[in-house]
Amino acid sequence: MQKVVTGVIGNDIHVVANRLIDISLQARGFEVFNLGVNTSLEEFIDAVVETDADILLISSLNGEAEGWCRDLQFLRSEYTLRDVVFVIGGNLAVGEAKQSDIIPKYQSYGFDLVFHQVDLNTGLDELEKYMSERA
Amino acid sequence: MSKLLIDVGSTYFKVCEETKLAQFFRDFKKDIYDDLLTKCGDIFKHYAKEDVYICSSANGGLSTLIIGLTNSFSLKFAKNIAFNSGINIIDTILYSKIEESKAPLELIDVVIIVGGIDGIGGVFDERLFNYLSKVQYSNIVYVGTTQDAAYLSQNIPNLKVLDNIITQKLHVNGAELKEYLTNLYQADIVGKEDIKHLYEFTSNQIYSTPYIVNRSLPLIDANFEVVNPFIVVDIGGATTDIHYSRDLVRDNILSDSEYDRLVFKKLGVYKSKETLIFAAKNNEFVYELLSYLNVTENILEEESAKSLRILMQLSIFLVLYKVSRLNPAYVTLHLELLKSIVLTGGITKVLSYEEVEAIIAFFYRKVMNLHSLPTIVMDYDYAIWTLGMKNDTHKEPKCL
Ligand code: B12
Repeated sequence: MQKVVTGVIGNDIHVVANRLIDISLQARGFEVFNLGVNTSLEEFIDAVVETDADILLISSLNGEAEGWCRDLQFLRSEYTLRDVVFVIGGNLAVGEAKQSDIIPKYQSYGFDLVFHQVDLNTGLDELEKYMSERA
Repeated sequence: MSKLLIDVGSTYFKVCEETKLAQFFRDFKKDIYDDLLTKCGDIFKHYAKEDVYICSSANGGLSTLIIGLTNSFSLKFAKNIAFNSGINIIDTILYSKIEESKAPLELIDVVIIVGGIDGIGGVFDERLFNYLSKVQYSNIVYVGTTQDAAYLSQNIPNLKVLDNIITQKLHVNGAELKEYLTNLYQADIVGKEDIKHLYEFTSNQIYSTPYIVNRSLPLIDANFEVVNPFIVVDIGGATTDIHYSRDLVRDNILSDSEYDRLVFKKLGVYKSKETLIFAAKNNEFVYELLSYLNVTENILEEESAKSLRILMQLSIFLVLYKVSRLNPAYVTLHLELLKSIVLTGGITKVLSYEEVEAIIAFFYRKVMNLHSLPTIVMDYDYAIWTLGMKNDTHKEPKCL
């Protein structure tokens, strides 16, 4: 069973999507470690290390993810992580923003999959496809 | 025949012959007995066992080294459990950094190894054993993923294995580790193996140093420029003790002692450095205080002479704060009545009079809103301790 660590990053308390993500991932057969809202990037990475997770799926709704995710490359380099897949989704910018700006930006931070204002099920379908292609 | 007085501290041996006082830095690779024999063997030859008096503060609480997989889970959980078990944390090591980490010099009472939820294996490897081979410890306990327990037990002699403190939900499960640590702590107080050996040097009762310091208090105002009511603050490597005149407390405790003692196990500058920093960072005045001392918070994490001095200044401040009206949960001393503050212990070797005065002035002005300070007396050569050793008018200790 593949393991996913999830939660909402930064000072973000939008909890509804987080609950849905937890349920949806379980329904799709993943083992879920849900850190809930208000989670720092370091806690995410540390949870991946403690659980030896395959996927880190971060969600952000209030638009402030950018400031919280810049250190991803640095933090992941602190550990020798297996091939963990990094995913982020939700509202990834404040106000209007173009997908063509947002996706490369988050990819440069180290995310493999970036879903800005993408419906959850569409995103999770893509994630599963990505995982099976990689395997 | 004159007496030989020895104080076994957590960082120094102090040796007093007649009028001569010497001190030796402890060698933590050796046990106390061997270390003392190496350094003072020749001196011992001149004294009969009944003329040797030893006191020790080396049994001032447990020291812990936690090796954990991450800061947010393993180390955080283990630290929390250790704090709640009354332990002085000495150090934490992030497993991913273990190869660059220095082994502590002092003997560690208990090493705690933690990491991973149950179900994942291969978290720990030879890097752990290499590191542990450089550490002197008395106990070692494993509270990480069950998958690694057998492997670690095969490679680490006397490893105690307890329940994983990290649950499947990444929550804390502290019960077993807490019980284990609490029991160790009790056993430690009853008597360290190390201390028992010292009876080969003396036929007299070995006292705890704080007891000896307390015994010297009635003699202090005759021997120093000290006016009652006063407090004696003994900031050592492991703990910080405060001895105070009962005139400074207004409580309903009926006691025949003139002086009482409080111990702050968490405010030592070496052995409980982490807890000291933890307490400092949680103090409402600390940032103002650091800027008053012209340093930033970063100094606390440094390993330098300057940082040691700042830590010592912080411990003076925190001790005063903890016994002041601002912290009603603790014993409250009427510090506005205080006439003298006497400083003894390792601190007098590190801080200058001016540095001590600066911190006490900050405390009285900022916290107490008072402008006149108590007089400050520095016990530079541990005279207080020798007074107490010689003052054996009441042979039987009232408490130890
Ligand atoms: C309810 C709500 C709140 C509630 C939250 C209660 C709670 N504890 O959950 C309260 C009132 C507290 C609140 C506060 C704030 N909110 Co609000 N809030 C909303 C609101 C109305 C609904 C959110 C919701 O629950 N939706 C239902 C869930 C199921 O949908 P969702 O969150 O959009 O998630 C879906 C997708 O985004 C996606 N998804 C999410 N994560 C991921 C991850 C992956 C990998 C994938 C594939 C998909 C995915 O899947 C979900 C299901 O399809 C939205 C507006 C809206 N209509 O969306 C604003 C909204 C999210 N809030 C917003 C803002 C700005 C705030 C505040 C900053 C307002 C303020 N100035 O105080 C604060 C922030 C507080 C904080 N520290 O986080 C903005 C964010 C703007 C942006 N990003 O550009 C929004 C979009 C409103 C707006 N249009 O301005 N908010």
